[in-house]
Amino acid sequence: MSLPYGATVLEHFRHPRNQRPLDQPTAAHEGYNPLCGDRVRLEVRVEAGAIRAAAFTANACAICTASASLLTERVTGALVADVLALRESEVVAALDTEVPPARTACAVLPLRALRAALVGHSAPA
Amino acid sequence: MADFREQLDALRATERRVAMATLVGARGGSPRPLGAKLFVGEGGGGRLVGSVSIGGCVDARVVEHGDRLLRAGRAERVTVKVDDAEALELGLACGAEFDLLIEPVSLDGTDPAVAAYESAVDLSRSGREAWVVTTLGADGTPTRRVHADRHEASAGGTEFFVERFAPADALVIVGASDVGAALARLARALGMRVIVVDGRERYATRERFASADELLVGMPAELARPYYRDGTSVVLVSHDYKYELPILREALRAPVRFVGMLAGRKRGDAVRALLKEDGLSDAEVARLHSPIGLDIGGREPEEIALSIAAQLVAVREGKPLARRAQEGGR
Repeated sequence: MSLPYGATVLEHFRHPRNQRPLDQPTAAHEGYNPLCGDRVRLEVRVEAGAIRAAAFTANACAICTASASLLTERVTGALVADVLALRESEVVAALDTEVPPARTACAVLPLRALRAALVGHSAPA
Repeated sequence: MADFREQLDALRATERRVAMATLVGARGGSPRPLGAKLFVGEGGGGRLVGSVSIGGCVDARVVEHGDRLLRAGRAERVTVKVDDAEALELGLACGAEFDLLIEPVSLDGTDPAVAAYESAVDLSRSGREAWVVTTLGADGTPTRRVHADRHEASAGGTEFFVERFAPADALVIVGASDVGAALARLARALGMRVIVVDGRERYATRERFASADELLVGMPAELARPYYRDGTSVVLVSHDYKYELPILREALRAPVRFVGMLAGRKRGDAVRALLKEDGLSDAEVARLHSPIGLDIGGREPEEIALSIAAQLVAVREGKPLARRAQEGGR
């Protein structure tokens, strides 16, 4: 399968990291794009103000799936406060490709779902 | 293909009492299965719902018997022979014979025959099988018992009639598209239990899918999963890999009857290649029907849905045209 979005997107779409239901998540949120139908659920286990584990489930396009895969790798072990400070442009940049404006919503959907999941977890437990 | 409850609900608006004709025997071939029913409304001009043949002279004669037995207020087993002299002379008679149990039943909620069948339908709608065993008394009066375990389905006497009420075959339609909507309507009319799944609320609306038994919005692969069992067909009309790949990875390994995907040959082959990369075996991938539908040539949503529905019936009946050549098509 060839994709116009480069090796990183292709690798993380075909071999997504952390794509599974998470055992005993402390927070979860399912985000979706009402236009294209992307659906991605981020699950995290937060302990002492840090994300000990992150995983996702997706019925989503390549950009969204790759973004979720990269995001879960990036946030595992990170402080919740640092994750909440992540900018959408950083998530898009991690895809290492030119994301057309029309597809930016796909790329940032996992981060927005993660932020929603982390509501209430911003202070150390 | 309305079930017993739906047929009676259609009659209750105008009828208080009907003759219920049940096909209990056939010789020389029958277009309808045993157990087929025709309801005849009261008064000589009452409504007709259902059929025991494909129309024509057989149903007409059953209606006559129904009118007669409603007036007489008793049940009777009758035999209708297709031996019309004129038809015979023209070589148009099929020479078949049909046995029918015709009995007056009331629709006011007190009739034991109606209660028995409605109980069986309720069991089948809940996903269980049910058997209705009918026996005829010495005076010709039928009595019925409903069994939820076939090993308990027995009857005294020398003659009885057993009707099986199985849960309807499930059709999971993935993608709330126009083709999906047309297929939902057709499949429901064919007696299937229709489950529509999509991730998009704007498409999966009751307005577009009024006839669907279940209309589910969320993660499509998760929503479809509980329905993967023997007798289920999974039809993907989303034409979007984001739903197709997660669904197919599971459905092609599940004990379902049929998995089909709306796609051209090239796209279908690309999806098969991805599934093999994902670890599905050749045998599992070979279960995928794509292009989908019998090749009748239509291009409108209703026409495409018709071709898919026809293929689902062919698969259920084990007909050779059930598998379409893997070329061309949609």
